[in-house]
This record gives sequence, C-alpha cells and structure tokens, in this order.
Amino acid sequence: MRIKPSQPNVVDLDMTPMIDIVFQLIAFFMIVTNFEQTQADERVKLPADELARPPIAPREQELYINVGFLRDKEGNITDPTPYVFSKEGAMTAQAYGAELQMEARVAQAKKIDPKTITVVIRADGDTPGGVVQELIKLAQEHGFEKFSLKAKTKALDQ
Amino acid sequence: MKLRHKSDVEKIETQMAPMIDVVFQLLIFFMLTLKILAPEGDFNINMPIGQAQADPNSEPQDFIKVRLLANPDGSLQQVQLGRAPLGNDARVFDRLNGEIAGMVRRDASGFNDDIEVEIDFDYGLHYRNVIRAISACTGRIDPNTKEPITLVDKIKFAKPRPPDGDGG
Repeated sequence: MRIKPSQPNVVDLDMTPMIDIVFQLIAFFMIVTNFEQTQADERVKLPADELARPPIAPREQELYINVGFLRDKEGNITDPTPYVFSKEGAMTAQAYGAELQMEARVAQAKKIDPKTITVVIRADGDTPGGVVQELIKLAQEHGFEKFSLKAKTKALDQ
Repeated sequence: MKLRHKSDVEKIETQMAPMIDVVFQLLIFFMLTLKILAPEGDFNINMPIGQAQADPNSEPQDFIKVRLLANPDGSLQQVQLGRAPLGNDARVFDRLNGEIAGMVRRDASGFNDDIEVEIDFDYGLHYRNVIRAISACTGRIDPNTKEPITLVDKIKFAKPRPPDGDGG
C-alpha cells in the first residue's frame, strides 16, 4: 500500500469581504461624525418647528447663548429659575450682562465689530419669553445687532 | 544566447494584520465619538439698535402687530392680531398664518419685503409659543412641494413687558 505524504492543513481565510465592510463602516462614521465644535447645551430642550431651517450660508461670527433650566438625569426641571449656561457656569440673564460686555470687548480687541456678530439664542421651550427679550436687550446694550433664535427642525409628517 | 523561460516569480504575501488592527481602531474611534444631534434651524429677528422698540401700550404703527397673552402658568391665553382676538386653541397659529398671508397679499401685488411684523408677548409666556408665532408670521410649508414659502422676512419683538405686568 502506498502512503501519501501528509500535507499541513492550512486554512486560508479570505479577508477581502471583511475589509470591504469595515472600510464601508469607517466611511459611514466619518461622514456622519460632526467634527464641528457645537456650542449646544444638552440641558436646553429646544422647541420644534417645521419652518426652522439651517442658515443657507454659514455665518462668520457667532455668539451662542444657551438658556434653560437645571435638570436631573431624567430631564425633569429641578429649579424653576431659567439660567444662561456659559463657560463660567449657570447664571441668571441679568448676571450674563457682564459676560456679554466681555464678549463685546474681546470682539473689539480683535477688531471685530459686535454688529457683525450674530447672537444665536438657544432657549428651552419652557423658558419665559421675557427672559429671551431681556437677553436681546442686554446684547443690544453692548453693541450686538443681529439675532437668531434656534429651534429644532420638525419633520413634516409629525 | 540562451533565454531563460522560467522566471522566478516570488509571491509577496502582504501582512494584513497591522492594517486590520489600525482599521478596527479607527472604526472604534468613530463609533465612540459619534454624537447624534437633532438638526436645528434658525429664525432671524430684526432688532437694530437705532430702532427703538415700540412701547406696548402705544397706538399701532404701520406694521402688523401680533399680541400673545399668557396665563399665569406660562401657557397661551390668547393670540391677537392687531386688536382682533384669534383664540388660543390648537389651530390658532394656523389662523394667524392665514390672516398674515391675507394681509400680505392685500398689501401689495405680491409678497414684498416692506411688511414688518411686531410680536408683543407677556413676560411669562413659554418660549415655544413665541417660536410658533414667529413661524406663523414667517411663512408656511407648501402642501404640494413641501418647500417653505416666506410671507414676512422682517420680524421684531416689542419692548419687553415687565414680569409682573402680564395680561395687559
């Protein structure tokens, strides 16, 4: 009887389909990842509206103001006072006047006219509208003229 | 001359393991940094410094005046267009939109840029109602094309009302 020499049984895995899929996944995540530094505060629950559309052209200068309430982990309001959330922490609209003054000074130091800066207000749907007006008034006192109010874009079928 | 027919072709086996390592690292990075945000849109309001905000108790100027009254809990009590009450039900902002569309059409041969709307609201009114009023004054979604139709571009706020002076 003739005995065949035994050959090592090496299984050659075809990696090509897996690499294809992984590259597709990477491409997907790269496209959907937003690398822009969003200045949104998650505590602010924006109102939704169908007509709220992103601006056609990006603005050159923006100043974001987030107004909302202190909330617990479930999203319930823990303090009924509306606060402005800034880098310095939560403060009342009146107290934020000093921050606005600082922002105007910084802009002027950079030779930027505050009139050209758009103040973007992101306010919680439950915030009293008067607080938003107060903020606009304070911003006007420090030379800001352009204002924009943010809302979530509501899907048409909702 | 003698030609060699047999060429020594060496099969180069690429090392895939490091590439797969890096690719998986990238994949994990993108998966962890992904933050799904709801799309946000803007409503521009026209508040130049030189233009004094109208006194809420003054006579109506030559702009469309929308008044929003609030209940003590911040909900909507009444919408008024000029001095005409429009109610406070679920369809009130649709009616406001229809009235604004009618006024804009009557004011000119077509839609124009000169018409301005002033929104005057109580201090305690929930901001979502203000946004709904701005939206109703700004325009509407065309039911056929699903594209927005702009009615009024210039929207401003009246002078802020004091927190305790609601309901006036």
